[in-house]
Amino acid sequence: MKITIRYMAALRDRMGQSECVLDLPDTITDSAALTAHLRAADPAAEALEHPSIRLIRNDEIVAKPVALETGDTLAFCPPFTGG
Amino acid sequence: MARITVTVSSFPIACGDLLDRLAGDDADCGGVASFTGQVRAEPGLVALELEHYPGVTEDALTRIARSAADQWSLHQAIIHHRVGRMELGEVIVFVAASAPHRRAALDATAYMIDMLKTDAPFWKRVHTQAGSHWVEARDTDREAAAFWTDTLASEDA
Repeated sequence: MKITIRYMAALRDRMGQSECVLDLPDTITDSAALTAHLRAADPAAEALEHPSIRLIRNDEIVAKPVALETGDTLAFCPPFTGG
Repeated sequence: MARITVTVSSFPIACGDLLDRLAGDDADCGGVASFTGQVRAEPGLVALELEHYPGVTEDALTRIARSAADQWSLHQAIIHHRVGRMELGEVIVFVAASAPHRRAALDATAYMIDMLKTDAPFWKRVHTQAGSHWVEARDTDREAAAFWTDTLASEDA
């Protein structure tokens, strides 16, 4: 399953990249499994599991965990600080 | 149906022009309220920088404005948010509402600015003389949004 991952704002600095495309094992079917997979490869990804992190899947703000399908774009977002 | 205007732009916000669009535009409206948020001078602060998630941001702001319009029977709701770099004193956000009575316009304006702080994907970065850092979300902002969520839920119950 191919997923595009985006890291927003402070998470972009933390992860050292803004976007990547991953070819994931079939066992990863939701965002919780994805973050565990990312953390196993990079300890910095522990930040993605913080309860305050919001998710945007295919241009829609979604609740965690969210199911993933091939071709999805999933953005990890720190808490919003506009206004 | 209320008229909703949502804008996200890197250009300076012409608050006076936006307010003029509401005031005097509709004789059935007895109240027009607005909030203007601007870059506050703090020790060492040079500028703020706002980034957002294009497309998702506009959808979130439209949802907030439409929710306010439905809840308080607004005639118009405006949310205009700037992104990019802003110097001290420059306007970051302008929110306004028009309604038949002042209380509805005032409450709707407070609701929109409180909700957009927690529900619209903007991120604020502070540039100081010593360097730059991302602004962390504040508990007071979360509490302000929760106040409206709780209040409107109890009114619906």
